[in-house]
Amino acid sequence: MPSLYRLHRAALCAAVFGIAAISTASAEEIIIGAATAQTGGLAPYDQPALAGLRMSLDELNAKGGLGGKYTVKLLIKDTRSDTAQTATVAQELIDAGAKIMITPCDADPSISAGQLTQPLGIPTLTLCGSAPVLTGAVGDVMFGTYPADNVQATAVADFAVSEGRKKVFLLTSPDSTYTANLPEYFGKVFEKKGGAVVGRGTFSMGQPDFSAEITNIKGLADKPDLIMTAAYEPDFPAFIQQLRGAGVTIPVYGADAIGTPTIKALGKLVDGVVYTAAGYAEPGSKLEAFNAAFTKYAGHAPESTYEVNGYEIGLILDQAVKTAGSDDPKAVRDAIAGLKDFEGITGKITYAGTDRMPLRPVALMRYEGGEGKHVQTLIPDAADVPAP
Amino acid sequence: MIAQQIINAVSLGGVYALLALGLAIVFSIVGLINFAHGELMTLSGYALLASLVLGFPFPVAVLVAVSCGALAAVAMERIAFRPMRGASVTSLLLTSFAVSSLLKVVFQNGISARPQAVAMPGWMTGAFSFGDFTIGVGPSISIVVSALALIALEVFLRRSVTGTAMRAAAEDFDVVRLMGIPASRIIATAFLLSGLLAGLAAMLWVAQRASVDPLMGFTPVLKAFIAAVVGGLGSLPGAVAGGFLLGVIEVLLQATLPGAIAPYRDAIVLSGVIAVLLVRPQGLIPAVRAQRS
Repeated sequence: MPSLYRLHRAALCAAVFGIAAISTASAEEIIIGAATAQTGGLAPYDQPALAGLRMSLDELNAKGGLGGKYTVKLLIKDTRSDTAQTATVAQELIDAGAKIMITPCDADPSISAGQLTQPLGIPTLTLCGSAPVLTGAVGDVMFGTYPADNVQATAVADFAVSEGRKKVFLLTSPDSTYTANLPEYFGKVFEKKGGAVVGRGTFSMGQPDFSAEITNIKGLADKPDLIMTAAYEPDFPAFIQQLRGAGVTIPVYGADAIGTPTIKALGKLVDGVVYTAAGYAEPGSKLEAFNAAFTKYAGHAPESTYEVNGYEIGLILDQAVKTAGSDDPKAVRDAIAGLKDFEGITGKITYAGTDRMPLRPVALMRYEGGEGKHVQTLIPDAADVPAP
Repeated sequence: MIAQQIINAVSLGGVYALLALGLAIVFSIVGLINFAHGELMTLSGYALLASLVLGFPFPVAVLVAVSCGALAAVAMERIAFRPMRGASVTSLLLTSFAVSSLLKVVFQNGISARPQAVAMPGWMTGAFSFGDFTIGVGPSISIVVSALALIALEVFLRRSVTGTAMRAAAEDFDVVRLMGIPASRIIATAFLLSGLLAGLAAMLWVAQRASVDPLMGFTPVLKAFIAAVVGGLGSLPGAVAGGFLLGVIEVLLQATLPGAIAPYRDAIVLSGVIAVLLVRPQGLIPAVRAQRS
């Protein structure tokens, strides 16, 4: 009888779990895990992006959820801007049943979370991590959402060349993928289009003393007519404060991470600084409508384009679940990877044919008198974009 | 260009010296490395920002900010460290970490995780030139303020009764208490001075970085700790020497290291610290009476 008893018990178990499985399925709920920074250095980027994502998920839930039938339950855990902590909370979210993972605005923590989701096939999207090496470092479940660093750098380089700039100084920091690589991508495009890199300097993130580096810049035999850096806060304000303080008036260009209220509030100090954004709210545009809707939703206007980027992640997931016709992680992944000319808020978003870093427009902006002014919006020629 | 780099080095070294001195004063009296020293800087930074937003003239705002740092240090002693008096060095150290983490979270959740821009007056970003040689107003102020603060502190410690009592307490606290000088007053004064130094250093630090954020105190307190250890823990002249040495080494390495090695700057600096400590385990200028640590 023992074997029969065991069989009996197995059947009972199957029945219980079967019922359990059916009951979750009938609720049509999909858990999205958000391992994002609510504290620490990445919080100023993750929080706005997450606010945009929440807004879109709330709206989608009101219409029945992702693909109109899977109500989203968003679980959020704080990574404290720490790479190891990101892996820990990602594992907790996986254990809690996350079928889609959202990771912070930086390559390193996103990769650490991706290493956990990749073997399980859970589609993973970084909020605004833009290092193009990010997706390759993890595998086929990892998606970028923001315009990639090499795409942004190409856009800025194209603009600098069109302005007639010839000699650039690149300021990098080996402390993050973003600060290390973006200026180098710029340098590659700039050189290919006839410019020259006349000097390179480095800085340590979080250390506000740039005096030695600035003295080096001043002492260059071949004077640059442009400084390109991917430094962001708190390093960028320190750099530009000390650069201008030392009497150097060479223009400084950067990328998306300096499109923030903090940098804008520097006022005259950042006059002429060019940066990038995921879009620009022209009158009558979808982005303008989004900004109004977000202001109503959150009680304050969007700080940057990270909000709309987060919102578009919700739209991408909705479209992917619709296409997949299920919440099966693999089908959803395939659906995201196949997106082509998807109408977002900022423009068309394409994953098909890319290395899971989207092709999408880049807006070039310039600070003037404490305001970010739109310069132009473009999608750089794919042939110009340097390989990651 | 070499002269320029020397000015850079002295300017950075001066800030490190102020910070290290703040740590050393407290350590010399109570045997505590106050890792919440950096948060005193953060607090001063936010006080400066708030005063400027409220429309105070710049000098008044600076005064308010520095006083806030000093008062916060005294409050910190009263609330967090006084109840722990007589506790082991480890307990004190952990208390200071707790205060530091707590304040960081309060700043992050109460104010904002995002750095706030601090608009320094225009003349501070200016520069004046001698021939082909330019000195920024910022570094000059930094050097002058550090020098004045160091001199003022020295005068206070040498010439005033409280100062003399503090120097005596650093050598043998028990004997000073037997002489009838209240321990609480000495300790509170030590914290007040360290808060003042933190406030001043914060002004110079913020003037350089043009923004304040909840985590801005971490790097400086670390540098100050290194400087204080190199100089000789608990020794005030040592802290100053250590601060300047650290500043000079950092700037010179940044200026001269070739690009490929530059990322290892901090590793090289710390190796240098180890080398100094191997030769002089008690630091460059050891304290008169070595403290428990």
